[in-house]
Amino acid sequence: MRSRARGFTVCFAVCVLVCVPAWVKAQETRADEIAAQQARKAAELKPYQPGTAERWVTKTHRNLIELPSGVYPYFGSVYSGGGFTLGAGYRDYYGDRTHVDLKGLYSIENYKLIEVSTDSWGQSHGRLDLHGRFGWRDATQVAFYGIGNETPAERSAFRMKQGYFGGDLALRPGKYSMFGAGVMYEDFTMESGSGSDPSIEEVHTPETAPGLGVNPKYMHSWVSAGIDSRPAAGYARRGGLYEVRYLNYADQDHTYTFDRVEGEVVQHIPILRETWVISLHGLVKTTLDDNDNVPYFLMPALGSGRTLRAYPSWRFRDRQSLLMSGEFRWIPNRLGLDMALFYDTGKVAHQWDDLSFRGLKSDVGIGVRFHTPLATPLRIEVAKGSEGFNLVFSANAAF
Amino acid sequence: MTTRHRLTIGTLAAIAAVLLLQSATPRGATVKFYSDDPLQREPDSQDASQVKKWELDLLWDLGENLFANPGARTPIVKARDVNTIDEVPDSSWFTNRIGVDKLTTADVIRGPLTGEGPAPGTWSVTRPKETGFAPGFTMNDAKGQTWFVSFDANGFPEAATGAILVANKIFWALGYWQVENYLVHITPGELTIADTALVKVSSGQRRKMKFSDLQEVLRRAQKSPDGTYRAVAGKLIPGRDLGGFRYFDTRPDDPNDIVPHQDRRVLRALRVFGAWTNLVDMKAGNTHDTLITENGKSVVRHYLQDVGSTFGTGANALREYDEGWEYLFEGELTLKRLMTFGFFLQPWQTVRYDEHPAIGRFEGVEFDPTEWKPRVPTAAFIRARADDNFWAARRVMAFSDDMIRAIASTGQYHDEAAAKVLADVLIQRRDKIGQAYLTAINPVVNLTLDSGDTLRFENAAHLATEPASGYVVRWATFDNTTGDSTPIGTAVTTTDRQVKAPAGLPSQPGAIVKVQVAADDPGHPSWATPVDAYFRRGATGWMLVGLERMPVQ
Repeated sequence: MRSRARGFTVCFAVCVLVCVPAWVKAQETRADEIAAQQARKAAELKPYQPGTAERWVTKTHRNLIELPSGVYPYFGSVYSGGGFTLGAGYRDYYGDRTHVDLKGLYSIENYKLIEVSTDSWGQSHGRLDLHGRFGWRDATQVAFYGIGNETPAERSAFRMKQGYFGGDLALRPGKYSMFGAGVMYEDFTMESGSGSDPSIEEVHTPETAPGLGVNPKYMHSWVSAGIDSRPAAGYARRGGLYEVRYLNYADQDHTYTFDRVEGEVVQHIPILRETWVISLHGLVKTTLDDNDNVPYFLMPALGSGRTLRAYPSWRFRDRQSLLMSGEFRWIPNRLGLDMALFYDTGKVAHQWDDLSFRGLKSDVGIGVRFHTPLATPLRIEVAKGSEGFNLVFSANAAF
Repeated sequence: MTTRHRLTIGTLAAIAAVLLLQSATPRGATVKFYSDDPLQREPDSQDASQVKKWELDLLWDLGENLFANPGARTPIVKARDVNTIDEVPDSSWFTNRIGVDKLTTADVIRGPLTGEGPAPGTWSVTRPKETGFAPGFTMNDAKGQTWFVSFDANGFPEAATGAILVANKIFWALGYWQVENYLVHITPGELTIADTALVKVSSGQRRKMKFSDLQEVLRRAQKSPDGTYRAVAGKLIPGRDLGGFRYFDTRPDDPNDIVPHQDRRVLRALRVFGAWTNLVDMKAGNTHDTLITENGKSVVRHYLQDVGSTFGTGANALREYDEGWEYLFEGELTLKRLMTFGFFLQPWQTVRYDEHPAIGRFEGVEFDPTEWKPRVPTAAFIRARADDNFWAARRVMAFSDDMIRAIASTGQYHDEAAAKVLADVLIQRRDKIGQAYLTAINPVVNLTLDSGDTLRFENAAHLATEPASGYVVRWATFDNTTGDSTPIGTAVTTTDRQVKAPAGLPSQPGAIVKVQVAADDPGHPSWATPVDAYFRRGATGWMLVGLERMPVQ
């Protein structure tokens, strides 16, 4: 009997072992089949885990778009000619759209900037921006080629240290109208230039470099008015800017006080639904009184990635300047890539009457721009002028 | 023989019997058609209460879909959310409506609406809108119901609100879960700000909402001449917010989400529905998953939440000219334009638009549904097959002219010409979709086999083109377990879309016959590939249990 019982037990166990999995596995209906798949997934559920790249993009996106409080990378320029520059900042909000920033920049040419600022954006229903800043800049080897439009390409350098404190506002009362005003206390300390070029005092005298050897302190104020119909100043394919600026540099010693007026025109003309864009730029800067003394380092200048692009930064300086640029742009990709053929021409002059179309310095070039809807974070251009080629890397629009 | 031997022999015999029995038991997994085929509803068998909300970053979503082509590493297969007759069953994603149900025009213009909109009285604003470009806010009506209010952008009266109202009805009729959107006219003086209202400021922090915050929203909105603001009030979707869904892969924490989204026909079909309506903004951010309780169980329901990015305007401006024609980035086009100084022209650069201010850049003359593109390609969009497009096109073609005109009128445009322009273009684009997709593959549809063994069917392409000159029908018995077919009789040719079955059809209940129907049309060689239909004999007659429109693929 015991053996028979054991036999039944074995049979039953085999039945269970063989049949039960079959019953479990078999689905008699489509709904059962789907339910079985869902049951299998239910046994291995896991929360969504974004990958490293997704986490990085999400964080970067938030930092760049939402501008939250905290540390952020800062891309900017200490001073024209400083070369590749990197920096970082720390932002802390103390109002809805008002924050205080501490930021610093350092360039491969050893240019340095540190600044504490407070910015309040979009006040008065989005019409008013207010800014205050306090900072210090050290440009160690700013180029100087002499005064005038026909100076030789012999570079000397000076070091400019600038402490500053002040504020400004920008007001947009209408859809296109804009006004600005600001005042800034600026304390300049001029020193011998570093780097491989001779320092300015080794090559020039106060006669060839007005203001050489002085360290003026200015109360610098300005007002501006204009019409701006561009979608964004940092990147546009349509619209224009028509602006006049008046600047006063009041030397605390009254020796180097001067006034300047600047006029700027930008017009983008789209063709065939922005397949092409003709972009035009005109900029004139003039010192109002021929008897005013303007120190060499505050004179209008041409040369750099935003003026005469085939010429190095600060290549031409004088009391007046005229710049005209034209671009033929085509848009390989609307999301972020523009190309441009461009032509720049301009001159500097001692007097307003000399600011004619004779003796203009010119260049031609081609450029590629990587942009967002509102900004041009990378512009690479090759330009050819009378002194050769120049390669431009910039984090701004040309104009 | 000893007891021990008897035991052994008996045991072995029993084991052998069990094995034999087990091998003879039909395994459900081996049959082609189950007893409940074709499935009418996709089951959600598991409790999904553990699903967590996720935040999908807009930039990552855009970049991933634009450059990484997610979900494309596996072969393009037949849609996996279809039943055995190549239809999409009702589910947490989709409800069969137009083309299946007898929807009236009144049904369609009512759409997802179940009530009359926000209850009159004091409307209490609880927070400004924090996503998207359109100005808006969240509010509670006099009965405490929560609504998401969205305005027309300043300078574009009736554009965004009209698009939402019209597209809302279209996508509801097409079968998608939709928000209830109502047109409202808001008088600022009748709004209050809830004591608990918070606003997110630039720092990312939240603070108590002030009246100036409301003014800031209204400043960006289009004001009507009478001082009110036209807006759309979207009713809060029931359930717990889980974030949007992606157009590829599945939610790893949803047990019922077992079909990769790129293989869902309802998402692939947006290639056609999107082309029809110019739904260019297909992104996770415009979708919404919500956890609801259904039949006592927590399940995830998937909404196509924001279908306002349709027709010819965006949330705050007219569409860019290239929207609907190109992805935001296409490497080959970019290179060609770069190398040719922009002279490699595309159709959007010269197409003529009748730019009605409320409708924008929406046209049907140059429109080619096969060339239409959203801003960013989704994995589902890329993987749509001819049978998916065919399925979708049939639904688009089910909208009659009158129905489309009635739907366009739900935009409640001040200028009747706006509704007319919109309807005219939708009709033009509908017809082009029919011509493109109903003729691309064998268009035989609606197959029935009556109790007298007469097969009847229709040709869906007749809506778009001339019907086929003839049809070739082949019959076979079908073994549901082995999948083998045994021909019955010889091929029969017919021209009138009905044919009597040959003698010898099985008569026992449960028997299955396979019918292959090919269409003969010199202009459409693809129609020669037969549609395979399977009929199972039941107590009352034959029932269609299987249909394969692209059996080879």
